Amino acid sequence: MRWGLLVLLLCMASEAAANDDFAESDAWLAVGHYHNNKSSIDSENFFLAENGKTNPQAELQATIELFNSDDNEKKCLFPSRYLLLKKNGLINTDFPDCDEYEKFRQDLQPAGVTLLFTDAYMNNPSSMFGHTLFRIDTKRKGTQMLAHGANYGAFTGDNPGALYAILGLTGGYYGGFTVKPYYDIINTYNNIENRDIWELNLDLTPQELDFFVAHLWEIGQTQSRYYFLSRNCSYMLMEMLDAVRPSLKLAEQFPVHAIPLDTFKAAYRADNLVKGINYRPSRQNKIKHRYNLMNDEQKSAYNQFLNSGNFNTKNNLSKAQQVDVYETAYQYVQYQYIAKNLELNEYRKQSFDALRNRNALKEKGSIAELEKGNSPLKAHESMRVVAGAGIRNGEAFQEIAYRPAYQSLTDNNLGLPKGAEINFLETKLRHYDNQNNLVLQNFDLLTIRSISPIDKMFKPISFQIKANVERWQNPKDEKFGYLGNLSVGSGGTYAFSDWLWGFMLINTKAAYGGALPHNSWLAMSANAGIFADFEKWKILAEIEPQWASQKLGQKVTYKIEANYVLDTNWAIGGNILAENNYGDDTEEFSLGLRYYF
Amino acid sequence: MKKLYLLSAVAAGVLALSTNANAYDSTGCGLGSMAWRGQSGIVPQVLAVTTNNIFGTQTFGISTGTSGCDPNGRVTGGTGRMLLAFLENNMEQFAMDAAAGQGETLTTVAGILNVDEGEFSAKIQNNFGTLFASNDVDAVDLTLSVMQLAKA
Repeated sequence: MRWGLLVLLLCMASEAAANDDFAESDAWLAVGHYHNNKSSIDSENFFLAENGKTNPQAELQATIELFNSDDNEKKCLFPSRYLLLKKNGLINTDFPDCDEYEKFRQDLQPAGVTLLFTDAYMNNPSSMFGHTLFRIDTKRKGTQMLAHGANYGAFTGDNPGALYAILGLTGGYYGGFTVKPYYDIINTYNNIENRDIWELNLDLTPQELDFFVAHLWEIGQTQSRYYFLSRNCSYMLMEMLDAVRPSLKLAEQFPVHAIPLDTFKAAYRADNLVKGINYRPSRQNKIKHRYNLMNDEQKSAYNQFLNSGNFNTKNNLSKAQQVDVYETAYQYVQYQYIAKNLELNEYRKQSFDALRNRNALKEKGSIAELEKGNSPLKAHESMRVVAGAGIRNGEAFQEIAYRPAYQSLTDNNLGLPKGAEINFLETKLRHYDNQNNLVLQNFDLLTIRSISPIDKMFKPISFQIKANVERWQNPKDEKFGYLGNLSVGSGGTYAFSDWLWGFMLINTKAAYGGALPHNSWLAMSANAGIFADFEKWKILAEIEPQWASQKLGQKVTYKIEANYVLDTNWAIGGNILAENNYGDDTEEFSLGLRYYF
Repeated sequence: MKKLYLLSAVAAGVLALSTNANAYDSTGCGLGSMAWRGQSGIVPQVLAVTTNNIFGTQTFGISTGTSGCDPNGRVTGGTGRMLLAFLENNMEQFAMDAAAGQGETLTTVAGILNVDEGEFSAKIQNNFGTLFASNDVDAVDLTLSVMQLAKA
């Protein structure tokens, strides 16, 4: 009897020890979304133990107890924990019948998982860095249009801009997963926002796929505080993948911020995770592609058709060429309607004019669909450091600049939208030889620029927003101080050719700083510039006259920036700056090595 | 570092968002009905973007992007319901593919109806004029005539 009790006690002890080991395993920590003994999930209903959010051991114990109990309704909320514990021999009960979960699996008919990246959308600040979401591929007959997208996003409601931003950054919103048919996702991104979609097909085993769906269900019941920069749409997807395959350890690569493209690349680079990549061009890119491949006769017929609903040069075009004209025109009419440039009735008339004519020609068109895009996987890394040297008003300096994200106009734009610039938190330090001191030359809180050419078909607005702090010398007393600048402007861009763009922006500006008389000035400015892109060479030249409420703010600035791309992550850039400020001129030359990491 | 992030991003957000009133719609239709139990704030919002109604009043040009999902936001139900939901949301693309006799939406619809794609596509192309007899054809009529045609 005594021996028996001792054996029993020993067994219990070793079982508890085994559980403790498992509670510290990557698999258990990932399924509970634990990092440093704290789960990133905030919903209370996700935790079975009272202190489950901060205690993976207690949570494991409570989970084992749940699956040994008869609370089937609750068990149905944790199918992935069940799979994990069962596989590891920690429970040996059966999973109950769960109607809603079964219905979910039946609707999905899962065949695989795809990670989606949607291109940057410059017209919305929360989409400028792109977006990522999952697709649960389907084995339904037909196409993947019948698959489902699983999107992790914030439930934001309709707060005004400023409040929206503040709440979004400070965790004022909750985020959660939502599921939609993939055709809805295609419509939203490809057809309404005109963004390319990139599909990374993940190489999961059938067990991993099962687990993914189970875990999506489990996390789908929860919500967590949403932080736009760190605990965002893309970050949660990394945690999801870690839960499915704990050896991936993707989430820990993003401790501070998770830029969608960076997470997409991280998944792409993970060992044995990706088996294929597919491209779904935006409607706008499809139209551009088709238009570029039409001959002059077709283009003229196309324009005539859009103006009058017909064209009179049918004899000059083969049937297949006419098909190209009608199909391209139809897609452009769809674009115009979404862009709110067409009334419903006119839209319907033009649509069916195109389609009935097209239908009468029982032939295929001659243009092959767009298959290749500007792959985001080829983009340089998001962080940049520049080390360089130069001369400012005869004084030699060395400088180093660090930028956590993301892209300048003159940076290599392979894999990124051409003409889009987002400089976030760039800090530039300089050492001046004469004074032998190290100073903060410039701090860019944020610069956003979107230079996008207007043509016959598409009329985007070009715009810029800039907020920075710069070192400034008062020409009167020659003292140095710091100015906070804010500038907002908009205008248009014209493409002289594929490689040469010209733009003009009208800006409103304000400066603030103790070094200024009366502390501040307000100004208007116009900047006209050209942007030349020869792939390896990028050149940006600008002139900007400025009219200000104070003479000190009155100036004309000339800038030339050139960059030579050495490799994906290396480049050499040079700057020339001349400022004419009421007889007080500033001149600066600098050259720097840019490295992206 | 984090504070700096926060500060600058708030500034960025204030600047940029004030020029754009449309907060990004990240609202889908809900993962499972359980997710929304007792969370009164979310449900109305989900419904707000789910402008679809199951009786199908979607007409040409009104359907794209209306997120016509059922309350669970899923591809679900029998052939008719699935086809209706699909056509409500993809009528414009379907019309183009129908006129051409080929394309992704025809492949999808042939899959939903479980019929031979080649045969089905030819029928649809040849009957384009009947399927889209008027410019404001609605999704219910279209669904019914597509189903009839597939059977014929």
